[in-house]
Amino acid sequence: MRVIAVIPAYNEAKRIAGVVEHTQQFVDRVVVVNDGSADGTASVARQAGATVVSHQQNCGAGAATMTGIDAARALQADVIVTLDADEQHDPRDIPSLLQPILADRADIIFANRFRQKNRIPFIRRFFNAIGNLVTFATTGRWVNDSQCGFKVFGPRAAREVHIRMSGYEFCTELVREAVQHKWRIAEVPIKVLYSQYTLAKGQSFANGIRTALRILLRSFLR
Amino acid sequence: MSITPYQIIAPLISLVAIVYAWGLVFRQKKTIWEGALWTGFWTAIALIAVFPYVLDYLTFATGFKDRQNALLITFLGILSFIIFGLIVRLEELEQRQTKLTRSMALRDAGLDGEGKDDAKNSSN
Repeated sequence: MRVIAVIPAYNEAKRIAGVVEHTQQFVDRVVVVNDGSADGTASVARQAGATVVSHQQNCGAGAATMTGIDAARALQADVIVTLDADEQHDPRDIPSLLQPILADRADIIFANRFRQKNRIPFIRRFFNAIGNLVTFATTGRWVNDSQCGFKVFGPRAAREVHIRMSGYEFCTELVREAVQHKWRIAEVPIKVLYSQYTLAKGQSFANGIRTALRILLRSFLR
Repeated sequence: MSITPYQIIAPLISLVAIVYAWGLVFRQKKTIWEGALWTGFWTAIALIAVFPYVLDYLTFATGFKDRQNALLITFLGILSFIIFGLIVRLEELEQRQTKLTRSMALRDAGLDGEGKDDAKNSSN
C-alpha cells in the first residue's frame, strides 16, 4: 500500500523540516500544504524532501487538509495520514495508527490523545470536551478525540472523503463524513507533545465558540 | 375553535420540509441525525401554529405580553432572518474563494489531474 502523509502548515518554517524528516521514515511520501505562510515554510519543507503545495493565501486547516488529500490522490495514495506541523504529534505513532487499516478492520482512524498518559493542560481538555459534544450533537456519533489532527484514511475513505469546511471545524465534518459514508471507525491512543509554542498556537476560546457556531450553521445549511 | 389559514399553511409547509429533509437523507445527502434535527425544528413550527397556546410558556419565559413587545420580537425575528441570509451568502463566497485558491495551488504544483504525471516523475 502506498502511504502518503499530508501536513497542513502555516508559518512553521522553524519546525517543518524536523516534522517532514521524521515522518518520511514511516511513509512513502510527504505532502506539505503551505497555507499562505508569510515565512519560509514552503522552501524549508521542499529542502527537507516534501512535495509542497502552496495556497496563495491562508484558507484554514480544513482547506489545507483537503488540498493535501487531493494532492495525495493525484500521487496515487492508497492510504493518507494527516498530522500537524508543530511537532505536537509523534510520527512514531504512524505504524500503530496504520494497523487497523492494514488488518482491514477500519476505514478511518482517529488518534486519541486521552487514552495515554499525556500531560494535557486542563483548558485543552475542556475545549476538546466541548468539541466532542458539538460533534456528537451534529453527527450523532461519539468520538473520544474528534478534534485531533492526527488521522489515517484507509483506501475507501481516501477515495470518498470531501471536506467543505475551511477552518478547524473540518474535524467535526470528518466525523460526519464517516457517518454519512458508513466508514468503519477505529480509535488508537497516541502520544502528544505540548510545548509553550504549541499551546500559544492553539485555538482561543473565541475561536472555539466561532467554530462551534459554524458547525451548527453548516449542519442546518445542508 | 376557528382555524386560521396560517394554521393550515404552516403545518403543510412543515410537512413538505420534513419530507424534503428525509428525501435528502435517503439520497445520502443528509445524515439520519440531521434529518431528525430538521424534523424536530419543523415539527415545533407546526405545533406552534396549530396549538398557539404553547407560546404561553414563551410568554412566561420572555415577558412577551403586549403588542409593542410582539412588534419588537417580530422585527428582531426578521432582522435575525436577514442576518442569517447574509451569513449564508458570506459562507458561499468564502467557499468559492477557498475552492479557487485550492485549485490554483494544485495546478501550480502540477497535481490537478492534467499535470500529475509530470509531478510524479519529477519528484520520484
